[in-house]
Amino acid sequence: MVKAVKGVLVKCDASIKAMLVDIDEKNGHEFIIDELDEEHILVKETKVAELKQRLQNMMKERLKEPESSDSE
Amino acid sequence: MSASSSQALEYLELLPRNTHTKLYEQPSTVLAIFRCMLPHLAKSIVMAMLYMTGPFAAADMDAWFRPEGRDAKAKALSVLGQLHIILEKQDSARQISFELYKGFANSLRQALTGSGSSRSFGVPSNKPDPNKVDVAFLDEYARKKWENMLFYMVGSTVGLATSSAVAQDVGEGTKQLLRAGNFVKTTHGRVSITREGFAFVLQETNAQVWSLLIVYLKYAPELGMSETDVLSFLFMLGSLELGQDYTTSTLSATQLQMLEDLSAFGIVYRQSKSSPTFYPTRLAVTLTSDSGALQSDATLSALSPTVASGSTRGNKGFIIVETNYRLYAYTSSLLQISILSLFTKLTTRFPNLVSGKLTKESITRAVRLGISSHQIISYLTTYAHAQMQKNSPFIPPTVMDQIRLWEFEGERVETTAGYLIKDFASEKEYEELWDYANSTGVLVWKNDAKRVAFVDRIEMISMFLQKRNKRNEEKG
Repeated sequence: MVKAVKGVLVKCDASIKAMLVDIDEKNGHEFIIDELDEEHILVKETKVAELKQRLQNMMKERLKEPESSDSE
Repeated sequence: MSASSSQALEYLELLPRNTHTKLYEQPSTVLAIFRCMLPHLAKSIVMAMLYMTGPFAAADMDAWFRPEGRDAKAKALSVLGQLHIILEKQDSARQISFELYKGFANSLRQALTGSGSSRSFGVPSNKPDPNKVDVAFLDEYARKKWENMLFYMVGSTVGLATSSAVAQDVGEGTKQLLRAGNFVKTTHGRVSITREGFAFVLQETNAQVWSLLIVYLKYAPELGMSETDVLSFLFMLGSLELGQDYTTSTLSATQLQMLEDLSAFGIVYRQSKSSPTFYPTRLAVTLTSDSGALQSDATLSALSPTVASGSTRGNKGFIIVETNYRLYAYTSSLLQISILSLFTKLTTRFPNLVSGKLTKESITRAVRLGISSHQIISYLTTYAHAQMQKNSPFIPPTVMDQIRLWEFEGERVETTAGYLIKDFASEKEYEELWDYANSTGVLVWKNDAKRVAFVDRIEMISMFLQKRNKRNEEKG
């Protein structure tokens, strides 16, 4: 029987996906419903905003950005 | 069909059947839906079937279409089915045939031939108005009301508007509606714009009016108004004539209450609350047409490609962007300055000019608030200064690329809300489904190896599945 699952399709590249899966594992699998393939995952609708936020924080920690010169 | 009416179509499609039936009692509603909500192909189908006496066999309909038009036909029929305009029937011999719903067909015939009561298209006032107002006045009135509301949203966010001054011009009802529609939110007594609000402000005026009215419609039952009454009044407004005064004596209690709310947005004009007549403004009469509202006027934000390519492009451009990301805007309008300051680091303001710079910081801030790079670029392009318009493209490519790159850095994932469909029994079942989803335009993504498909809307798909299950049961 065909099933329909409500959720949000998240498309990203493989490296980002790895980080998202990592976040999910560390938080008791409360974000991701299904890993679809290398670049797509299905996420709970209510958790998308939080997942995005956590991803941003993680990126900020891991990637140091060069100070942008904002001089006139 | 323009971008603005497609929003209204989406809303209409989700209404239940008995609401549609009630709506179709009004010829003005039917005509408005026919004129500007239906795709062109759907119009042709309805027109061809309008004066048919009996059901129309599906096989005969297929004969009208070339094989390569199959997708377009499926799309048109699914819209017509969703709106309960066309009924699909199966007779005892398992032959599928189509028929127009009686109510819709009757009203459309009435609208086209002008028979029946004319009440549906508004009743002009028969007494001459001693204080008659002209079209120019109505345009000015509508523009001022609408612009005030936009400025309330944008201005209070960027801190340009001392909220008290603007807040006085914007009615309490309007503010409530903006909050209900999640266009603005209030934190610690300070109003700030939301992601949806940005998309709203950057839309073309016509689309803005529809977005706001759709919020109003959703809100209507809470105010004790019937949704059908509200909708048919809106469609009636769309068929009125600009500059003509209409009597309020034929309106229902709900519609009188609406008049008051709509005059707060500048959609209709009344001399006083007890005045026996009302004038529709340009915002109202363009509701159901493709020509834009208030376009002649450069101070309103209009951000659709249709505007950019239209004949309205002339001397309204005022923005200059240099390859070193510096931006100069010849404007003194507070609304425009506050929109610019959403994504620009403005540094200097002169009486007729503001200047600033597009920086990584300012763009990422805008992206965080929900503006996309696409919106920013098309805003800059639409309002490029006449001198900039000599270049091709108008905005230096390096600047456009950099804006996109800055956005991409902030947003590493792309999300789509919807439904994942899985566990297909067979390859054939899977293929039938994604093929259908693809032809109706709801398929977002599929994976053949895993046999899963993702769609952004489920209603049509579930109808499709139900129908197929029934067919299968009958067979088995």
